[in-house]
Amino acid sequence: MEQINQAILLGGFLVVLSILAGMFSSRLGAPLLLVFLGLGMLAGEDGPGGIQFGDFKLTYLVGSVALAVILFDGALRTSRQTIRLAAKPAFVLATAGVAITATIVGGVAFFTLSMSPVEAFLVGAVVASTDAAAVFLLLNMRGTEINKRVSATLEVESGLNDPMAVFLTIACVEYLLHPAPLDWTLGLFFAKQMLGGAAIGIAGGFVLVWLVNRAELAGGLYPVLCAAFAVSIFAAAQSLDASGFLAVYLAGLVLGNRRHRAQATILRFHDGLAWIAQIVMFLMLGLLVTPSKLLQHVGAEIAIAVVLVLVARPAAVFLCLLPAKFDWREKAFISWVGLRGAVPIFLASIPVIAGVRDAEVFFNVAFVVVLVSLVVQGWTVGIAARFLGLALPPQIDKTERTDIDLPLVADRDAASWRVAEHSPALDRPFAELPLPRRARIIAVIRAGTLLNRQELKRLSVGDQIIALVPPEQSIDLDRLFAPRPVRRKNIDDMGEFVFSGDVKLGVLCAQYGVPFEAPNAEQTLADFLAERLGPDAIPGDRVALGPVELVVGAIARGRATKVGLELEAPDERLPVLRALQRLGNAWRSLRGRPRTP
Amino acid sequence: MPSMELTEFLAPEAVLASVRATNKKQVLHELARKAAELASVEERLILDVVLERERLGTTGVGNGIAIPHGKLAGLKRLYGVFARLEKPVDFEAIDEQPVDLIFMLLAPEGAGADHLKALARVSRLLRDRRMCEKLRGSDRADALYALLTEHAASHAA
Repeated sequence: MEQINQAILLGGFLVVLSILAGMFSSRLGAPLLLVFLGLGMLAGEDGPGGIQFGDFKLTYLVGSVALAVILFDGALRTSRQTIRLAAKPAFVLATAGVAITATIVGGVAFFTLSMSPVEAFLVGAVVASTDAAAVFLLLNMRGTEINKRVSATLEVESGLNDPMAVFLTIACVEYLLHPAPLDWTLGLFFAKQMLGGAAIGIAGGFVLVWLVNRAELAGGLYPVLCAAFAVSIFAAAQSLDASGFLAVYLAGLVLGNRRHRAQATILRFHDGLAWIAQIVMFLMLGLLVTPSKLLQHVGAEIAIAVVLVLVARPAAVFLCLLPAKFDWREKAFISWVGLRGAVPIFLASIPVIAGVRDAEVFFNVAFVVVLVSLVVQGWTVGIAARFLGLALPPQIDKTERTDIDLPLVADRDAASWRVAEHSPALDRPFAELPLPRRARIIAVIRAGTLLNRQELKRLSVGDQIIALVPPEQSIDLDRLFAPRPVRRKNIDDMGEFVFSGDVKLGVLCAQYGVPFEAPNAEQTLADFLAERLGPDAIPGDRVALGPVELVVGAIARGRATKVGLELEAPDERLPVLRALQRLGNAWRSLRGRPRTP
Repeated sequence: MPSMELTEFLAPEAVLASVRATNKKQVLHELARKAAELASVEERLILDVVLERERLGTTGVGNGIAIPHGKLAGLKRLYGVFARLEKPVDFEAIDEQPVDLIFMLLAPEGAGADHLKALARVSRLLRDRRMCEKLRGSDRADALYALLTEHAASHAA
């Protein structure tokens, strides 16, 4: 009895400690997951905590559920627009990219750890997928906003690439246990994993939407239903030899992009659930590892990590994205944010459980790789984005919006906002506020009193607004009630001067003596950018114009309304990168498709 | 590409320490008058090209800074004029903040790359918040000139 209570106390205390430590460390910019992992290690057998924990089966069980929950939560927040923007590149990265990474890393393992080729490839497979939890967290928590196409690709890639890594890992483990010549059964297994996972996930997602909208439940039960259903989808797929990770991710995408009841509650609940999953999983992985054992092959382990970060990941990204519309800076950033997290450690427990000989090696390599990735890459994401010129100004400063969960009000959500200091809403009389067409303010509360809207002249700072708004327009209200963004960063990120999208290309070139032969001088900047960037252009996209660069500043209905002019292309400041870009241009011109004039 | 020195296009007498103006047009007038005197070109011509440029989009780049500029057929070289206003005026700046530090840059018709380099130089200089604070805190032309160009020297090193 006493022991059980102590275990509960220990567990609870560790989680509390993780959260507090995370709070402090975020001021230092340390990746949260690293903090959780570190605490786990401190509590473990080589640390002051001295807890003995070596249960790989339990790790696999908890890890499975945790990953399923994290993937599901990430998918719930992935909008249709994100998927549309990133589906193709993310798919290639999640399949071919994983295979390329695994092969290169496997090569290094073969030479440094004197293993058989299959064992070496298993090392590669284990560390080949990027981590959804780490990527979601980093992309959402950094103060700087990153170019949407890049962040969408990273996000969807990290959600989609676990199945491939799992498949390669299982295939290798199978072979190590029962060596058999490669034959068609492997292909069949692959098809079962992917197609089966996709089918179960999508079908499961639709069933879940239907269930949520039909079942009359106490409000608090909807999110529980979703979580339980998601885990069931995962497990059902796994038991049928299909990929549970793929299934649960796709189910989340379906639910997240269909209208359903209790959306806000479900999201909030899963947010908390995903946090618990992350904390528990990383704490547990930290407990599981025995740091003193890592030191046996530490040279080889670090070599593998370095090759993964500096060679394998960039090679996979640049090869997979050759046909895609990314410039070299974006590819460099995607390479750098190939964060590894819990998945490699989790995958490395598979050979241990399956009983592969000397399987702890895989585990130790995976652990060092993850540690290096979290420390080196996780810590520098913001710096990398700024260095490569991909950081965008925050579009909106923090809004104070609280979603109000009403039972399905037609297709509008209810939410409340606090009117912030310097918000655009203060500029005009209440009656003339520029509300989106279908948004309605239903109440204004000032200092605890409900105001009569008919007699209200002007909003003031601190007023609480309650409004009904279609979900896609709530961002307009965020903008209305949030403090006006500080534009200082705009100057840096959009170049020196800002023009309207209607300015003619010829006029701009003449104004600055830009030696650029415009095919059509009468063309507007918006048309020119649309022609060069296609319909999916996003703020931050750049097009070279002779020695200067045009930067998309704001987009409305697919067209640039504001265009920045950067007089010194960023590579002016970074000679090394400029040299690299020249190489890239030379390569492109060899291939006969010059990208920029 | 070596960056361009401010002293190459800003003369000590082209710095105005405390200009009084109530609106954008008046500010541009004051600077155009000074530039006309230095470059011996008609003031009207300068005002025309600068206003023409403002029509494409404001040169009020935010933080109280404006960098009006344009190209002029009759010029022999680049000319800069810097003014610090007594009171900030509305300049239709991108951040909607009033403007009190203005650098006008005029380039000859064929200046091309030099024009761009000089603009980039000025813009980089005035992005420095501490520099702007110092400029705002000084009401003597020689001190302003020293601030502007001293920074240029340390920057080039």
